[in-house]
Amino acid sequence: MTQSVGLSLTEQQRAVVERPVKSKVFLEGPAGSGKTTAGVLRMLHLLDSGVPAEAMLVAVPQRTLATPYYDALHSPDLAPGGQVTVVTMGGLARRMVDLFWPLVAEKAGFGQPESKPTFLTLETAQYFMARVVRPLLEQGYFESLVIHRNRLYSQVLDDLNKAAVVGFPHTEIGGRLKAAWAGDPVEKRIYDEAQECATAFRQHCLDHNLLDFSLQMEVFVKHLWTLPLCRGYLLNRYTHLIADNVEEDTPVAHDLLRDWLPHCQSALVIYDEDAGYRRFLGADPESAHSLSELCDETVRFTGSHVTSPDMEALASRLARSLDRPAEPASGNVLSVLSYEFQRYHPQMLDWVTGEIERLVTEEGVPPGEIAVLAPFLTDSLRFSLMTRLEQRGVPARSHRPSRALREEPSTRCLLTLAALAHPRWGICPSRFDVAYALMLAIEDLDLVRAQLLAGIVYRNQDGLPALGSFGKINAEMQDRLTYVLGGRYENLREWIEEYAGGPEAPLDHFLSRLFGEVLSQEGYGFHRNYDAGEVAANLIESVQKFRWVTDEALAEGEKPLGQEYMEMVEDGVVAAQYVRSWRLQPEDAVLLAPAYTFLMANRPVDYQFWLNAGGRGWWERLYQPLTHPYVLSRHWPRDAVWTDENEYQTRQEALYRLTRGLIHRCRSKVYLGISELGEQGFEQQGALLQAIQRVLRQVQAEENTTPLRSGGAPDV
Amino acid sequence: MALPHDFQFSQGSLQDYLDCPLRFYLRHVRRLAWPAVVAEPALEHERHLLQGSEFHHLVHQHEVGIPVEQLSAVISDANLRRWWLNYLETGPGDIPEVHYSEIVLSAPAAGHRLVAKYDLLAVDPGKRAVILDWKTYRRRPGRRRLEERVQTRVYSYVLVQAGSDLNEGRPIEPARAEMVYWFADFPNDPERFRYDEHRYAEDEIYLSSLIEEIEARAEDQFDRTADQERCRLCRYRSLCQRGVRAGDFREAEEEREAEQELEIFLDFDQTAEIEY
Repeated sequence: MTQSVGLSLTEQQRAVVERPVKSKVFLEGPAGSGKTTAGVLRMLHLLDSGVPAEAMLVAVPQRTLATPYYDALHSPDLAPGGQVTVVTMGGLARRMVDLFWPLVAEKAGFGQPESKPTFLTLETAQYFMARVVRPLLEQGYFESLVIHRNRLYSQVLDDLNKAAVVGFPHTEIGGRLKAAWAGDPVEKRIYDEAQECATAFRQHCLDHNLLDFSLQMEVFVKHLWTLPLCRGYLLNRYTHLIADNVEEDTPVAHDLLRDWLPHCQSALVIYDEDAGYRRFLGADPESAHSLSELCDETVRFTGSHVTSPDMEALASRLARSLDRPAEPASGNVLSVLSYEFQRYHPQMLDWVTGEIERLVTEEGVPPGEIAVLAPFLTDSLRFSLMTRLEQRGVPARSHRPSRALREEPSTRCLLTLAALAHPRWGICPSRFDVAYALMLAIEDLDLVRAQLLAGIVYRNQDGLPALGSFGKINAEMQDRLTYVLGGRYENLREWIEEYAGGPEAPLDHFLSRLFGEVLSQEGYGFHRNYDAGEVAANLIESVQKFRWVTDEALAEGEKPLGQEYMEMVEDGVVAAQYVRSWRLQPEDAVLLAPAYTFLMANRPVDYQFWLNAGGRGWWERLYQPLTHPYVLSRHWPRDAVWTDENEYQTRQEALYRLTRGLIHRCRSKVYLGISELGEQGFEQQGALLQAIQRVLRQVQAEENTTPLRSGGAPDV
Repeated sequence: MALPHDFQFSQGSLQDYLDCPLRFYLRHVRRLAWPAVVAEPALEHERHLLQGSEFHHLVHQHEVGIPVEQLSAVISDANLRRWWLNYLETGPGDIPEVHYSEIVLSAPAAGHRLVAKYDLLAVDPGKRAVILDWKTYRRRPGRRRLEERVQTRVYSYVLVQAGSDLNEGRPIEPARAEMVYWFADFPNDPERFRYDEHRYAEDEIYLSSLIEEIEARAEDQFDRTADQERCRLCRYRSLCQRGVRAGDFREAEEEREAEQELEIFLDFDQTAEIEY
């Protein structure tokens, strides 16, 4: 079976995979040493050995990490049978709460135990957080913070999530953050305010049966895992566990596994050394490693199926350059490292894309074996790269499209037309917005004529938007606009008018109708426009989910759902997520991605390009004044103060883990894109560049080669 | 045409192909989101789909052991309450005692995987295996129509192919398998289909040839259905230039279920976990 699904075994893998069924193994090793492959093959081996698929649970910390398991399970070569369950602990919690809700709702403190639970997405959780926090902001909360409101809401949600996945009471958030604060004592006030917001949000959720991620986890861990029916359902059903990438999971997930493992017939717990990239989401590698005590034996994989000795030498030298312990490795670092100094950022991008083109066209490298990585992939950087690669005829893909949903032109068009169809909302789009919407809505209508048309037909009458008839404008202008386009406009206007004269539909239904009955019909801008259809589908899904969770909340007030949604879009609370790509992306294309996203996809490539290697982004943490991944962890002493030294050491450690993780997922060569001036025009002398320079100096000393000057041109 | 590497066939995708090859292509191969209204009245249609989904969930909760009183206490909707009472009072009747609720089985078929998601499998190992499928249709379809649905063939075939783990490790003999459609609004009138070796052999040939036929088609050979009536309740109608307004689902001869309509459009698994 293992051979038939296209995977073959090494001896060290065979020793793990073909162990007797009733074995509990803790498998550790570096990235690329074949652990996940062993996990997949072990799963197939258990199935071959007669273990029912329904008895197996594969737990991963993030869905992207489940791909190798799904690929194997979807193989036509797999024998007939049941379905192995592949979950994240968060997903399992959500399912269990949904299933056993009637048994725990009251005990967990929900205000309406006889009603159904409402599960919140990140977007809808932000909405309710905004409802709770907005009045407090008006009272002067967080005055000293210069931060976008949405980031404020998401950080308070993050605090609640940390409490849930680390396993401390959410009422301790403020106290823990205050105790670690080393700055001006007056500033500690923001932590009290964050605590107040978190507490108020939690109470609101309990009162209204709303479950954000943190509450789903807490209800599962505190109330369901101890409930005999639920516990029995899980422990009796899933007697064979495979937990992969446990180093990326949270302490509470590890607690569950710790409790679960003794009940299992077999277990394989897989731990990636030097990882823990999801620390800012609560990942705890130390806690993960302690699971080895629950297993019968620990096996360590060595070597790499990915990297060459030269690449290992680069990893080793870079680690030591960052003051981390690493075994010296012999190899030619310069054979796997390529760089070229540029003065300006665009020149660096030209060099990067030129090298990619050369690799693809001259060396025959498949585009899918190239990844372009940056600590953060801004919209402009992504656009610049995509455009350059497109011009060179190299296919490229990104982990996300260029804009947030609310910034997509199709979204703006749909929402502008929605405002026009609902005059009683009192939302009057600008004339330009109306012209832009008409241009997108009506096929062949260019911006000049759209502006002409909007200038004539769009009126703001006493604060209410209105569209006039094409038939009432003068003949000369009708000629100029053309009767074909005028007819299309008139059809759209009449459709809107007819709708506005009837009962108001839920906004998502209105948008669906507008899309299906007008905009996607022949002669209109969304007709056979799959990208626009995709954006519209995402928007309508966002509105629908918003409606499903806010119906009750909005019933308390007078405001229609559509109006509330539109206002939340303007505030950036909803429709801020990126468009999910339904369509298949070309697989053999250069990947553009943030470095951590690439790591969590866990798919090695032949060539990596590290952009802006001199930038500080490789070393700095996100600015998160209201939360703290290290202080809100299990390891931080309750009364200890977070010092600059702590900050420095954690950044060094994070850079070490990041670069090591990337190198271990690179087969042939790392290219460094370096420019003296960064994307914003500032000089770049970041820690990554300095560390690499130390490596090159050392190599130069040994081999007499040319290193880079700090932040500048190569030494000559 | 090369299908995506992770492509799995299901009764839903095969039925889509039989109803309209282009619909199959757009929905399952291209995975094209096309958010037009499927049926009118839209709100009523949505409510009906969600009620059906809730009924399935309720029965699943019952199957995992949650007491009836506690389940009954959370039902506020009139249709759901009626279906629930029908289920409690006039359930599917004589079925084996060992139950597997919401279980998924799959088997290889013509170089792909064929997946079946069952509402309930009731098994008496070595003796009987009964497939139960809950239907919350407003009208009860006739036996012939149900027999023609590919679901009837796929579910029985996959059970025989893949159900041995539920039968103490022994293959389920076709003659010991049975499929029952139980209608929540017509509780006394379930439809039963006994399976046998002959049907099993026929289904194997039929399903394999259907999958091979799909795979043999070039991308531009997935034609629109000739039966334009089907387009009235299809979200792709504007793409195919087959009408403007959605049809009335209350007048439709065949009903689609929440799983069929919402699966591509909504990602029920989405949680508030933050990903990179």
